[in-house]
Amino acid sequence: MMNDSISRHPEDGVLLRFIDGELPGRKARQVEKHLQACWQCRTEIEDLKATVAECIRYRKNVLAVHLPGPPNPWQDLSRGFARIDDSVSAESFFARMLRPSASLRWSLAAAAAIALVCGVIYQLRDTPSVQAATLLKRAVAASVAQPPKAVHQVLFRTSSQRFIRAAGKASATLPPTMEAKFQTAHYDSANPLSARAFQAWRDAQAGEQDEVSTVSDPQTPTGNCYRIRTVTPAGDVAAATLMLRTSDLVPVEGMLEFRDNEWIEFSEFTESPDRGTVDASNVEVPERPAVPPSRLAAVPPRPTVSVTEELQVLSALHQIGADLGDPIQITRSSDRITVSGTGVSAQQRQRIQRTLESMPNVAVQFSEPVAAAIPEGSASAEPATSGTARVPAPNSKIQNGLEEQLGGRAEFERFSSQILDVDEGVMDHASALHNLAQRFPAASERELSVENRRVLRGIAREHINSLYSTVNSLQRAISPVLTSLGGAAARRAATSETDWQTSAEQLFLASHRMQVLLSVLLGVAPGRNSGDLPSQVLNAVSELRADLDRCQQLLAQEGGG
Amino acid sequence: MKLSASIFGDSFVGILRQEKTATPLQALVAQLFEESRDDVYRYLLTLGLHPPLAQEAVQEVFLRLYTSLKKGEDIQNPRGWVFRVAHNHGLKIRARQSNEEPFDANLEARLSTPVANAEHELIERERMLGFHRAVEGLSEQQKRCLFLRMEGMRYPEIGSALGISASAVGEFLRRAVMRLRKVHDE
Repeated sequence: MMNDSISRHPEDGVLLRFIDGELPGRKARQVEKHLQACWQCRTEIEDLKATVAECIRYRKNVLAVHLPGPPNPWQDLSRGFARIDDSVSAESFFARMLRPSASLRWSLAAAAAIALVCGVIYQLRDTPSVQAATLLKRAVAASVAQPPKAVHQVLFRTSSQRFIRAAGKASATLPPTMEAKFQTAHYDSANPLSARAFQAWRDAQAGEQDEVSTVSDPQTPTGNCYRIRTVTPAGDVAAATLMLRTSDLVPVEGMLEFRDNEWIEFSEFTESPDRGTVDASNVEVPERPAVPPSRLAAVPPRPTVSVTEELQVLSALHQIGADLGDPIQITRSSDRITVSGTGVSAQQRQRIQRTLESMPNVAVQFSEPVAAAIPEGSASAEPATSGTARVPAPNSKIQNGLEEQLGGRAEFERFSSQILDVDEGVMDHASALHNLAQRFPAASERELSVENRRVLRGIAREHINSLYSTVNSLQRAISPVLTSLGGAAARRAATSETDWQTSAEQLFLASHRMQVLLSVLLGVAPGRNSGDLPSQVLNAVSELRADLDRCQQLLAQEGGG
Repeated sequence: MKLSASIFGDSFVGILRQEKTATPLQALVAQLFEESRDDVYRYLLTLGLHPPLAQEAVQEVFLRLYTSLKKGEDIQNPRGWVFRVAHNHGLKIRARQSNEEPFDANLEARLSTPVANAEHELIERERMLGFHRAVEGLSEQQKRCLFLRMEGMRYPEIGSALGISASAVGEFLRRAVMRLRKVHDE
């Protein structure tokens, strides 16, 4: 008898992974064997390959030809190589200079290993005051030796303002509140992002304590920076920090922290040369004014965060719908909860940041700003969202039947868009519920407090309610049409899961199956278009409803408020 | 291809002979720069960078590659490394841009321009225009996965660049391909 895993059609997405060589060996062999026997999947593979080929044609004939070419001739990198060679040599020399005696090397190595674990690349623990003074002296010398950069702007940030100014332009005044901070600190406001300014400020302090460490470069993640932090025992300024790029000792970021918890941060800002230097429009409220990122990095480890806080974050994100669509990831470590996401719109990012702003121990990291805008007036300005993407001409018997039932091609397209929109909504909620179930499987849930369980189930129930609503809309839209095409839903046997998490998994799979069948029905995905398709779609919806019922029942049965 | 400061393939012997003043490592990075710079530049344009900033970023990324190799970092797949670093660096630059450069600012117009050539060319152009619109209709994540995959990156590499799992990459690609297929089938 043929192995069941070989005889079954691979799940959706597996074939793409197969042709991309991304399946593990055993699974790939199963698919390979299946393909030997299955014409349908072989055809599917050919279709996928044809789409891949179309992508490559698009890259070659559209992107490569029509996107603007580089505005300048490509530069020879040899000058850059030479500069790097010099700085790496200087760095090596400097590292040797700072190296402690042989007897201390083992302890330094141990310290470095611990620092690595903590996320810091390494930390120089010997004589920090001498290191700080030496570093600053070298950085001042380097700034004299190096020609000034052609374009160099400094971004100033406080808890309420943001300002961009060309570096060294003393005549360009800062906003009064920012200027006042530098005056209070007795720190050079004309060129604060300089080793000389920091050195002058530091020299004027008494009883200061220095910390010197090496950290990742905030501007370029692959590079490193020396971080000098000088803490003072008295005065308005509690601490000042300067970060110098290890490769050339150029200051990239600095910060003054005041005893009244105010702060001002100044950092290198790369901008196109044609944009303004001092402009009132540059003053704006930062996206997250409360704490600058570098300050987060500077504070000592926080107390352990609990699952309660994680659930509060989850709940807050759920309230604003941030757990739907492109995934927001929530990770809890010993001292913080990190909310990260990619491909999140600017508006949504701001909503998330505002929502989480008041929560302690929460860090927000987004790596993708807003999606590319569609040029005004271009033909592509027509709606092209996921659900309203263009629908191909009906090319099969079933689609012709649908078109006839609906009253024409235009109606068919409207119907398709509507169904695809609703279907996307189903998938969003089913995925969110599935994620929740995976994060808190039954065993983990049992360890939660009653209150936490109540919060968790509250979120799950809301997803269920939304799913009921969208599935009802879907059923209302498709049932009459598919029934008139001869479709009929079979009665579904009750499902037998024992916890809502397992049921959520089934529900997710059922949503996926329904999405695939709807795609075939509407001509979005070719193949597997049997005459029984209307019944299959209706059955899939019915199955989804049964899973919804079961999941809801389990959520209620197992208590938890 | 695996790169490190101490490991070089035979294919670089020719370069070494030609560029006697360059070190082997410099020749290696220079060759990769020449081969891949246009691809990386294009990718950064699709990310929304202005052309001058994209070009500057490309050079910066290759110099970073050189710095990392110089410091002894072992880089298994230099092209993947370059795209990953370019993506992250590009996002930072884009965040600082006052406005985003729509990557298809003139592209759609150029594709729409009527041509006086043979009918099959018109059909092909129309098809590519439809495909382009479909690509534009993808979600940002789907697009990023697709563009990086087009550049030959593997799922884990794409995931690493975008900060998502390889299986999430597979899912984004599946959805993207599903949507593009219907254009292809039209």
